[in-house]
Amino acid sequence: MDSCLGVEQDLDKATSKFTALNDNTNKILDDVIKQVEELRKEICKQPPNTVLSQSQTKLVNDLASSVKQTVFQLSTDHRELHATVSRVGKSIDRHFIADYAAVAPKAESFCSDTNRPIMEQAIAQHLYRQGLEEVGDTLVSEARVVNAERGSTFAQLQRCAAALTAGDPAPALAWVAAREHDLQHSPLPFVLHRMQALKLAREEGVSAAILYARAQFPAHAARHERQLQAAVCALAWCTPAAPPPPQQYAHLLDPRALGAEAAEVFVREACSLLRVAPHSPLAGAVLAGARVLPALHDIRAKMSHPHVLAAWADDELPLEVELGEEGGFGGYHSVFACPILRQQASDHNPPMRLLCGHVISRDALNKLAMGIKLKCPYCPMEQSPSEARQIYFS
Amino acid sequence: MNEIKSLEHATLKVPYEIFNKRYRNAQRVLDVEARQVATSVSDLDATTKKGATVGEIDSLLGGMVEKLTTMKRKASEAITEEVQAAFVCKKRLEHLKEQAESLSDTSAPQAKTQINQWRKVRLDRMLVDYFLRNGYYESANKLADARDLRDLTNVDIYAAASEVEYELSLRRTARCLQWCADNRSKLRKLNSTMEFKIRIQEFIELVREDRRLEAVRYAKKHFSTFEEGQLEDIQHCMGMLAFPKDTEVEPYQSLLGSWRWDALVAQFRWEHARLLHPARLPALPVALQLGLAALNTPYPLNEITHAHTRTHTHTHIHIYTCCYKDSTKVSTCPACAAPLNALARTLPHAHVSHSRLVCRLSRLPLNEHNQPMVLPNGQVYGEKALKEMMKEHGSIICPKTKEVFCMKRVEKVYVM
Repeated sequence: MDSCLGVEQDLDKATSKFTALNDNTNKILDDVIKQVEELRKEICKQPPNTVLSQSQTKLVNDLASSVKQTVFQLSTDHRELHATVSRVGKSIDRHFIADYAAVAPKAESFCSDTNRPIMEQAIAQHLYRQGLEEVGDTLVSEARVVNAERGSTFAQLQRCAAALTAGDPAPALAWVAAREHDLQHSPLPFVLHRMQALKLAREEGVSAAILYARAQFPAHAARHERQLQAAVCALAWCTPAAPPPPQQYAHLLDPRALGAEAAEVFVREACSLLRVAPHSPLAGAVLAGARVLPALHDIRAKMSHPHVLAAWADDELPLEVELGEEGGFGGYHSVFACPILRQQASDHNPPMRLLCGHVISRDALNKLAMGIKLKCPYCPMEQSPSEARQIYFS
Repeated sequence: MNEIKSLEHATLKVPYEIFNKRYRNAQRVLDVEARQVATSVSDLDATTKKGATVGEIDSLLGGMVEKLTTMKRKASEAITEEVQAAFVCKKRLEHLKEQAESLSDTSAPQAKTQINQWRKVRLDRMLVDYFLRNGYYESANKLADARDLRDLTNVDIYAAASEVEYELSLRRTARCLQWCADNRSKLRKLNSTMEFKIRIQEFIELVREDRRLEAVRYAKKHFSTFEEGQLEDIQHCMGMLAFPKDTEVEPYQSLLGSWRWDALVAQFRWEHARLLHPARLPALPVALQLGLAALNTPYPLNEITHAHTRTHTHTHIHIYTCCYKDSTKVSTCPACAAPLNALARTLPHAHVSHSRLVCRLSRLPLNEHNQPMVLPNGQVYGEKALKEMMKEHGSIICPKTKEVFCMKRVEKVYVM
């Protein structure tokens, strides 16, 4: 936010100066033109063949020199804005990171001849998943993408979601009605019915909405009591001459916000019902990447020597980044990190279950073992290292 | 440090460069027009010195008014263009602020939806940017139109570039030379060889058409002031004059190759991006690479070849067979799914200091509410899923190895 505000300040200064300069230039030139025209009219009162009197010559010369001065002044005024313009550029450089790729030296390899087609195949599949068939087809022909699946599973979902965003819950309601049984524990049906009720209130009047609510809401009363109350209260502001609604109902009465929310819930719930990821792989990876980037820039900024780059030479990212829940992360894989070595297990260093049930990595086990004796680091049990057993989390 | 700061530099910097260019253009217009007015002033001075008649003065003043009016029109046009360019910057800044606002106030009921929406737009912006920088202009235009992103992406800025490329692909150089002239000072600063390469190509075309004398004249005109490192190319060109156009002697044969035109298109695309973009790579591959690395694990995830298991039916047995086939593959993980798994393989993996375990059967996290349990064959699953399986089948069938166990032989695992 700070970075945006910093740039905004300089940019606003520049735009206001330029707008003022534009007005000023127009005005000054208008004035000058008027002056010249007036003098011309004045002189033309005499017949064309008379020679100019001394005073008139002086007038003409004075005006001419003032005109010259004025136009050069205008150009100088404009030149003086250079500092303002370049300050905007410097401000952008200062508040944003220009060389964002510095922490991802391997990104270059994604643009190589072997990897680029793979990336573009993923992009094409992403576009198809988003329901953007036409864009996908164009890309396939322009970039000569091979075997991009056009999978149809998502086309229907995206059509429903797009209709929701546009404010029409009908296709999504039909989709939900066909899967009522599987969606018993999902908030989706309620969200859609609520949207439909509020849509009816807006388009056909509150009484139509109340009829709809009577038919549909009771089934959801138990699970969504508070939201249901809010929705019904919101109906009170749906009459034509209603005053502006209070803050807590504002988002229910804003069809765009409601549509966007419903579309999001729809995609999430439908994908979890069909056991597919709500994001395309491309979207999921980019989302994760965008979260990693700031953290990497942070340590790059903190470390003066190119430690980060050295860390990349290794086979592990130099830091741990919490990817957060909203992207559906955290649940992709089991990751076992050895509690002793604080290191991710791998094929060469697999997790081992001790006799007592505690799990450590094999490297840690070898380090802790004293000949044929091993004491569990977490409980008093003594055992032989050979009694430990490799286990598999994935 | 946040996502905006570290990822959006180019979003603002590119329209700023346009703004800056328009500023310089406006300055030039103002200077030229001011000089025009000044000449009319000195004409007037000269005439009055000789002692002029009213008629002469009248027409001179009329000329001055005309020039002033032209100046007014042109200045106003140029400055309006500048202001418009500044407003493009402003618009993008507003878009970035939207995200910053919803990030700082996550308690608002709509904040989460807004953030997700904004991220979707960001991905679309990245895609458009990637398309533009790789010359997929039509895809970029279609995506920008489909998502209403013309202002937030550079499609309009790149429109001119796509024309130049099109002209080059038709072996016409005029537009490209014009572009070189428009950006001469910046190109020189970057040590660009674009214009020189075009000149060489034009010379080659003259030789190809057997207009050798013209070629010599062309060389006299354009190659006489060469810069360091260009001499060898010029010598090759000159040597070419001595050979027939179907020669098999190198390097003259390759000078006549048609691939040189494709190389020119590629070079133009590269130089154009270099002028506009501060960063060498588009944001998409950077974010993608880091994202894949962050989701990557040290286990080999890509032994599995096919990804047809997306449409699970609801019988458990079927799911098991799927899991068996792709034992370590998780269908939702970007780093495992084809085709991106091929890219993830070469990357580093995420640094993890605390275990994060998920039951392979139920996809539920493994913790104190869903104890990890180990089968005698070493495979670990969640307590809940195993209990469910007991209820359904009366025994445990390891989905991975198909061995059958009874519940008694399943042991707890403690992961710190």
